Amino acid sequence: MTKELKLMRNIGISAHIDSGKTTLSERILFYCNRIHSIHEVHGKDGVGATMDSMELERERGITIESAATSVEWKNYEINVIDTPGHVDFTIEVERSLRVLDGAILVLCSVGGVQSQSITVDRQMNRYKVPRIAFINKCDRVGANPYRVVNQLREKLFLNPVMMEIPIGLEDKLEGVVDLMKMKAIYFDGDSGEILREEEIPASLVAEAQAKREELLDKASAFDDDLMEMLLEGEEVSNEILEKAIRKGTLSLQLCPVFMGSAHKNKGIQPLLDGVLKYLPDPTEVTNRALDLDNNEKEVILPSDPEAPTVALAFKLEDGQYGQLTYIRVYQGHLRKGDELVNTRTKRKFKIGRLVKMHASTMEDISEAGCGDIAALFGIDCASGDTFCANGLNYTMSSMFVPTPVISLAIIPKDKKSADNMAKALNRFTKEDPTFQTYVDPESNQTIIKGMGELHLDVYVQRMIREYKADVEVGRPEVAYREAITKRADFNYTHKKQTGGSGQFARVAGYIEPFVPTDDDMDKEYQFVNEVKGGAIPSEYIPSCDKGFRAAMKKGPQLNFPIVGVRCVVNDGGWHPVDSSDMAFQTAALAAFREAFLQAAPLILEPIMKVEVEGPSEFQGAIFGSINQRRGIIVSSTEDHNTSTIDAEVPLAEMFGYSTVLRSLSQGQAEFTMELDHYAKTPVSVSDELRKAYNEKKKGK
Amino acid sequence: MEVNELIKNSPIRVFEKSINGGLGKGNIGVLASRHGIGKTACLVHIATDKLFKGEHVVHVSFSGNVEHVLNWYKEVFREISEYKSLDDAFSVYETMRENRVVMNFSQKNISVDKIISSLTTLIQQGSFQADTVLFDGYQLTKATPEDVKKIKAFAQAMNIEVWFSVSPALTDVAFDEYGVPETMKPYLDLIDVLLGLKYNEEKSKVIMTVVQDHHKSPSHFTGVTLDPRTMLITE
Repeated sequence: MTKELKLMRNIGISAHIDSGKTTLSERILFYCNRIHSIHEVHGKDGVGATMDSMELERERGITIESAATSVEWKNYEINVIDTPGHVDFTIEVERSLRVLDGAILVLCSVGGVQSQSITVDRQMNRYKVPRIAFINKCDRVGANPYRVVNQLREKLFLNPVMMEIPIGLEDKLEGVVDLMKMKAIYFDGDSGEILREEEIPASLVAEAQAKREELLDKASAFDDDLMEMLLEGEEVSNEILEKAIRKGTLSLQLCPVFMGSAHKNKGIQPLLDGVLKYLPDPTEVTNRALDLDNNEKEVILPSDPEAPTVALAFKLEDGQYGQLTYIRVYQGHLRKGDELVNTRTKRKFKIGRLVKMHASTMEDISEAGCGDIAALFGIDCASGDTFCANGLNYTMSSMFVPTPVISLAIIPKDKKSADNMAKALNRFTKEDPTFQTYVDPESNQTIIKGMGELHLDVYVQRMIREYKADVEVGRPEVAYREAITKRADFNYTHKKQTGGSGQFARVAGYIEPFVPTDDDMDKEYQFVNEVKGGAIPSEYIPSCDKGFRAAMKKGPQLNFPIVGVRCVVNDGGWHPVDSSDMAFQTAALAAFREAFLQAAPLILEPIMKVEVEGPSEFQGAIFGSINQRRGIIVSSTEDHNTSTIDAEVPLAEMFGYSTVLRSLSQGQAEFTMELDHYAKTPVSVSDELRKAYNEKKKGK
Repeated sequence: MEVNELIKNSPIRVFEKSINGGLGKGNIGVLASRHGIGKTACLVHIATDKLFKGEHVVHVSFSGNVEHVLNWYKEVFREISEYKSLDDAFSVYETMRENRVVMNFSQKNISVDKIISSLTTLIQQGSFQADTVLFDGYQLTKATPEDVKKIKAFAQAMNIEVWFSVSPALTDVAFDEYGVPETMKPYLDLIDVLLGLKYNEEKSKVIMTVVQDHHKSPSHFTGVTLDPRTMLITE
């Protein structure tokens, strides 16, 4: 059965670690009657919250994967996508943001807007996700939702508007005043499931009126009728007010703020009502795809259930029955038995089993409609693949995938572990495009690559726990690059003519530094053919290109990939019998290696854009810590008591920085980092690297 | 053109000559004018010249938008390096980036003590050997003589050249013939070099005048004007 689209919400819950996001998700599931008792994240009963399906997440109290869960609230279907909060997993966050139509931004009433909230908010802006805020933990000591509202304005540049005010704070938190109904709401029963409406306590009447005025004032900017009614002093109906707030929220110009305490079961039901009232249904969001048949031209996907199907696989999970693929349907519908095409692999497949996920249980369904989120069984695909009906060749615009910057060798302890490790790696690389793996042909070791220390650590831990792969981990290594700084000529003859079929090829030309323009940033290499008069027969020109490409993969200095080289071939020689594709490839490779060392080669290292945020009193210590790490301070911004420092620091110096930062700031400063660019290493560092590399080579 | 040559031929040399060889460390210089005359461009041009020489610069801004300031530097550099076809522009720019820090204060009415303390922290704990500090958009006209004295003491203690760009906060302020607002007058004795920027209708250019120069020579034309297109200092 296809749900009516107006009655559907796809939302994410996004926030800083420890602001109580998982507890909130848990309460939402409970009130929607999907689970029968509430488990705490750090629970005493050892069961743990239902959404954190992985053991590891339970132990760390954080959510790594985004499980999608469907719940029903007041006849509406809400698909909740739980998003991870740690910065190393931002690819997960970004991918889930893609399939969301709206989000709840959870904030801690004590901690307020922290650096991770800012990162997540920035991502939401990128994907234009309308959001409402929930100020959680109002029962905590030091709770101050008013301060958090100010921070939403000042730090996130949102236009927050309070929909509620708290009745009491800290341990005196009793309930909230609903500024729409102008009633006090209390949450009775064992788990706050019974709502009791009362008159507003006398002590809060004045404040409630003032805040309602503010609400009316802000909402009036989005509706002319409302503005007029206010100017003429007419009574405003909640219907008109709701419409105006919804309009403001959908256009990302207004952020309704709810509050309460998930842990104390207060304020959740009004928040759920807010989701229905102010967040968009699938038809209210514009989704775009790229048409591969039409030069990747952008097409808008109408949320039309009758249109040919377009769906996105946004998440894979390994269940006991095989691979589970979470998908979002953008147009058309999915039915059991339908045939779809994976536009990346061009492979056709049939939909076997189709399910809807409810935290840990699943329900078989026969059809998933437009806008819906569901899961498929037994489909071989990768995260981010697009599925289309026969005849369509769309891809949902490629998501931004950053390049891995850190690598690690992993060594299985026995045969069984090796098998399990292979299984795990196969799974992880499909789930997460920023996690990559390969076997180093020289050391024969398996290398994993990723975005940071914690990113790799989490996968190693998952390998050990979930896949029972006993592995040893090597030292993390930085992904360096090699490059040249000047032009060097080559003229190389490859000759092996000692009886039998021989080999002969001569290539001549030069290599020079090549700076790719913005248009082809990906192309780190350029091949130019300037051969005249058939000095190299045209059929062997591609062989030269191939040979150079092979040489680019491994630099002669440290075995790291080479970037930014233009290879020009302008002369050569051949032999009617002994020249071959192989001979020219070998000649080109050898010619390149020879010329490379003459071209003043150097080593490039990844430079990270690091943003540290913390109380101003630690500014000096933070400056010092960046300075010690060969970092450049780009800027520092001070706002009241908070300092934000933007710096550029070589990745090689960032190992263990989280521990250092924590101890120098008494745990109050945080940092995020991402790859900014590659830059040449100072001579002392590159000498050190070369020395270490040569010793390693000798040692073998 | 090589960097050294570029420094030698810079219009900044002409302007320095007119103020007895430059502002000098431990001194305060002020660029004053109405809004929208091109003070920021001038300031960034002065800073860029220092950076070309390998000196370290802190740019203090109050706008809340660091990106905006960084773009000024990028633009000014691009303008100069392209016009003079600078050799190896990329690596020159890289070095300049390393020698420059933007310090931004978003809070309104921030105290001079706080700014000085942050600058001192950066210089001492961040081991940033600043040669010049530029205050872009600081409301010097609202500051007390005490505040200016503190900045002067900081400049002397740290051996730093300090530049200010000043526009009055209020709109109904009278400007003298050189473009200097009347509200500056109470601090004139604390300022070592005061430059006025004013649009000259005859020349249809912004003219830079030395209003005060190390308490010595009387007011005179610096010999430089601002390029009407880029707002950069030109001979």
